[in-house]
Amino acid sequence: MTKKRNWWSILLIVSLIGILFTGCSTNNTANTPNATAESTAPAESAAPEASAPAADAPVDGGTLVLSSFSDIVNINPLLIGDTSSGDIANFVFAQIYDLDRAGNVTAEPWSLAAELPEISADGLTYTVKLKDNIKWSDGQPITADDVVYTVETAKNPETGSPLISQYDKVKTVEKVDDHTVKFTMNQVYAPFLYALCQAIVPAHVLKDVAPKEIQTNPYGTDPAKTVTSGPWKWTAWKQGESHTLDANPDYWGEVKPHISQLVYKIYADQNTEVQAILKGDTDHISAIPVTQVEAAKADGDIAIIQKPGAQYEYLGFNFDANNFKDKYGLFEGQKTRQAIAHALNRQGMVDNILKGVGALMNAPFLPDTWADPGDAAVNYDYNAETAKKLLAEDGWVAGTDGILTKDGHRFSFELQYNAGNSRREQVAAVIQQNLKDVGIEVTPKAIDFASWIDQNVTPGKFQAVLLAWSLNNPDPDAESIFSSKYFPPAGQNAGWYKNEKLDQLWVDGYSTVDQDKRKEIYKEVGKEISTDLPYVFLYQYGQAIGTGPRVHWAEEDAPEPSLGYGQFFHAIKWWVTD
Amino acid sequence: MTEYLIRRVLQSVLVIFLITLLTFLLIHAAPGGPTKVMLSPGLSPEVLEQQAKNLGLDKPIPVQYVRWIGDLLQGDLGYTFKNHIAVSALIWPRIANTFILMGAAWLVSLVIAIPWGIYNSTKVYGFSDQTASFISYLGFAMPTFWFGILLQQWLSIKLDWFPLSDMHSRGHEGDIGDLFMHLVLPVTVLALGFLASYMKYARSSMLEVLDQDYIRTARAKGVQERKVVFRHALRNALIPIITILGLDLPILVAGAALTENVFNWPGMGRWFVEMASSREYSALMAITIITAVMVVIGNLVADILYAVVDPRVKLGKQGGKAA
Repeated sequence: MTKKRNWWSILLIVSLIGILFTGCSTNNTANTPNATAESTAPAESAAPEASAPAADAPVDGGTLVLSSFSDIVNINPLLIGDTSSGDIANFVFAQIYDLDRAGNVTAEPWSLAAELPEISADGLTYTVKLKDNIKWSDGQPITADDVVYTVETAKNPETGSPLISQYDKVKTVEKVDDHTVKFTMNQVYAPFLYALCQAIVPAHVLKDVAPKEIQTNPYGTDPAKTVTSGPWKWTAWKQGESHTLDANPDYWGEVKPHISQLVYKIYADQNTEVQAILKGDTDHISAIPVTQVEAAKADGDIAIIQKPGAQYEYLGFNFDANNFKDKYGLFEGQKTRQAIAHALNRQGMVDNILKGVGALMNAPFLPDTWADPGDAAVNYDYNAETAKKLLAEDGWVAGTDGILTKDGHRFSFELQYNAGNSRREQVAAVIQQNLKDVGIEVTPKAIDFASWIDQNVTPGKFQAVLLAWSLNNPDPDAESIFSSKYFPPAGQNAGWYKNEKLDQLWVDGYSTVDQDKRKEIYKEVGKEISTDLPYVFLYQYGQAIGTGPRVHWAEEDAPEPSLGYGQFFHAIKWWVTD
Repeated sequence: MTEYLIRRVLQSVLVIFLITLLTFLLIHAAPGGPTKVMLSPGLSPEVLEQQAKNLGLDKPIPVQYVRWIGDLLQGDLGYTFKNHIAVSALIWPRIANTFILMGAAWLVSLVIAIPWGIYNSTKVYGFSDQTASFISYLGFAMPTFWFGILLQQWLSIKLDWFPLSDMHSRGHEGDIGDLFMHLVLPVTVLALGFLASYMKYARSSMLEVLDQDYIRTARAKGVQERKVVFRHALRNALIPIITILGLDLPILVAGAALTENVFNWPGMGRWFVEMASSREYSALMAITIITAVMVVIGNLVADILYAVVDPRVKLGKQGGKAA
C-alpha cells in the first residue's frame, strides 16, 4: 500500500498514483488526498490493448525505463508507505502470495508460497507452505523464520510499521518447520488472506536491530545493504534522479525475468513525465493526467490503457456538531444528505472532468466486483427538483438571500480538498454550483496536503471534504473507515459517522469466510449505507497507463489497472525490443 | 580593511545564527511533520507517534534546536527524517548541479548583457536599443516555465536538436559534450530572464554616468568618444552593476525551482520544494544555512568590490556602504 507523492493513503491505500498509490493489506481502504495534481481518468472496462502484437517470441535482455514523479522513501517492506517505494519493492521483493487478474489470492511461480494456505474449518488458523528452493539475493535460504520475524516485527508497536493494522488480529505466528508457518487468529477475519500478499524481510540481516531503530537502519535505503528476494536486484539509487535494478543472476524462480535492467527515473511532475515518454526517453508511465491523454494518444507510438482503478472519490460529511457555527450540525438530517446526493450532477463530472472515463458508485464497493451490491444500493439521479423537495421536507426554507435556513441557521458550509489536485478543484467547483442551484452555499477551500491531513482530516475537524479512497486489496471490508470504533484521532472515520446497524454488519461481514454469506451481508451494507449516506459516493476513477513501442507482453500479462501496482502486472514476463 | 573584515564576519555569524533560530521556529510552526505527511492506510496516530519518537521528533523544539546547532558546529548537517540519509550526501551534488546550470546562465547573460547595455547607452533609441528593450520586456514578462515548455516542444520534441530534459543522457554521465547539449535549453530560458535585468542596469548606469559633468568636460576637451566611454565612464558605470551581481550571488546555489522542474534538472531549487512539502526539517535548515552564508558573502563581496572600483569608498571604522 502506498501513498502517492503527496500521499496517499490513509486507510486503504492510496495507492495509485501515484501521486499517489498497492499492495496487499488488511485494511482495505486508503484515503488518498493526492498531493500532486493528479488528474486521472478511469475508464470503462476496455480490454487492455497490448502495445504491440505479441506474435514474436519474447527476447531476453535490454533495459526498460520507467518513470515516477516522486522518489522513494524506504523500500523496507515493513515501512513502505508511499507509491514509489512500493513500485521498487514490487520488482525486487517476492511476496508470500500474489493476486491474479481477477484479484484472487494465488501462489504464482514468483510467489514464496508453494500452494494456497490451508485454512482450518473454524477459520482461525492459516497454514502457509513455502517453496523449498527460495533464497535471498545474498544466497541465504528464505525460511519460516523470515516470515515469523517479519510478522512479529510488524506487530511490535515500537517498529512504527504501517503493517501493524494488517496483523492486529493475528494471535500467534509460529514456525512449524523450515518451510511451514502457522498463523492463529484471535477471531475469524476473512480479509486476512490478503494480508499474506506481503513481501517479507530477511531475519538474518535485521534480527539484531532494535525495532525502534529499523526506521533509521540503512536496510531499505542503501542498495548495497538491502538484501532482496525478487527477480531484480536494487543496484543503484541516485537520490532524486533514478534507480537501477538489474536482473538477479541467482533468482530462484522457475520463471526468469526477460528484461535485464530496469531504470526508474524520477521526474518533477506528471507533465514532465508525459513529455519524456513522448520524446522516447522513457518506456512506461503509470498515470497520464487526464488533460494529456489526448496528446499521448495523438502521438501514435504510445499504447494507452484506460480502465477504472481501485479507487473512488467521495464527498464526506462531518457529523460532529463542534465543527459548525453555534454547534449546529448541518448534515444531521438523512433527507438533507439524500437531497445533496440528488443535487450533484455526478454523471456530468464523469463526462466533463474525467472525459467519460469513470463509473458512478453508490456504495463503497467497486462496480463489478463480487461484493458490488448492484441495484440493492440506492442510486441518486441528478434531479434538483427532488433535492429541493427533500430539503423542504427536512425543514429547510429559503432565507432572504436565497440560501436555505433552518432553526435560524444558514445552510452554508466549507468544502475542503487538497491544493494542487486539478481534478478535485474542478469537481469542487461543480459541487459548489450544483448545490447553489438548490439553495446551499458551498465555499471550496484548497489546503496544502500535509497541513490538511494533520490539522483537519486526521483529527476530524472539517465540515465536509472532497477526498478519495484507494482500495489496496480486493476485500470489501471497510470497517475501519465507517465504523464508530474508528473515530478520530485514532481511526479513519474522520467524519464521526455513527450507525449501529452498519457497525454490526461490518463485523458480520468479516467474521465468516463463506463468500456467499459475505455477499449477502455486503448487499445489506450497500442498501443501508446508500440510504444513510455518510458520504455521497461520487465515482470510481482510474489512471491512464502509457507504454512506449519498445515494450511487449503477451495478452495475459498486460497491465491491470484495477489492481494495486497493476501497472506492472506480470512484468517478469514482459520483454523489450530496440 | 582587516579589522573591517573581521567585524563584518562576526556580524555575519550573529545574523546567520538568528536566521537559523527564526527559520527553525518557523519550519516547526508549519502544520504537518516528516511523519505526518506520510499518511497511509493503517498509519494510525499511534504508528505516526511511534515513528516520530523513533526519529527524535517527540523532543521539545528547543531541545531539537540545540541538538541541531550542536551537530552543525561539528560540521554535521543531520539526516533526512524519512529515510535517514545524510543531508550532506544529498545537498552537495545538488549544489554542484545548480551551480553548473545557474553559473552557465549567469555567464551567458553577463557576456551578452553588459556590453550590449553599454553599447545601447551610447546609441539611445537606436535599432539595437529598441531590440534590446523588446527582449528585456520579453524576459521580464514571459513565465520561465512556459518559455521552457515552448522550447522543449519546438527544439526537442519536434526538431530533435536538443535533449528534452535531465543533466545527461543515460550512460553519458561525465561526458562534457552531452552535458553541454543538455544545458542549452535551460540556460537559454534562465539567461533570458537575467539578461533582461542586467541589460537594463548596464544601460541606465552608463547613461547616468555619461550625463555627469566630468564626462561633459572630457568631451569638451576633445577626448575621443571611445576613450570617454571606456576610460572615463565605464569604471564608474560598473559600480552599481557589481553591487547587483554581488547581491545576486545566492542564486548560484539557490537554483530556480520552476526551470529545474521543467527540465528535470536535479538541482537545489527543485529539491527545496520537495523538502518543504515533505517537511524535512534538517534538509530545509541546511538549505537555509547555505543560502544565508551565500547572501552574507555576496553582500561582503559587493562591498569590497565597490571599494576596489570606487576609490572614494573607504572600508574603515565607519563601515562600508550598506549594500
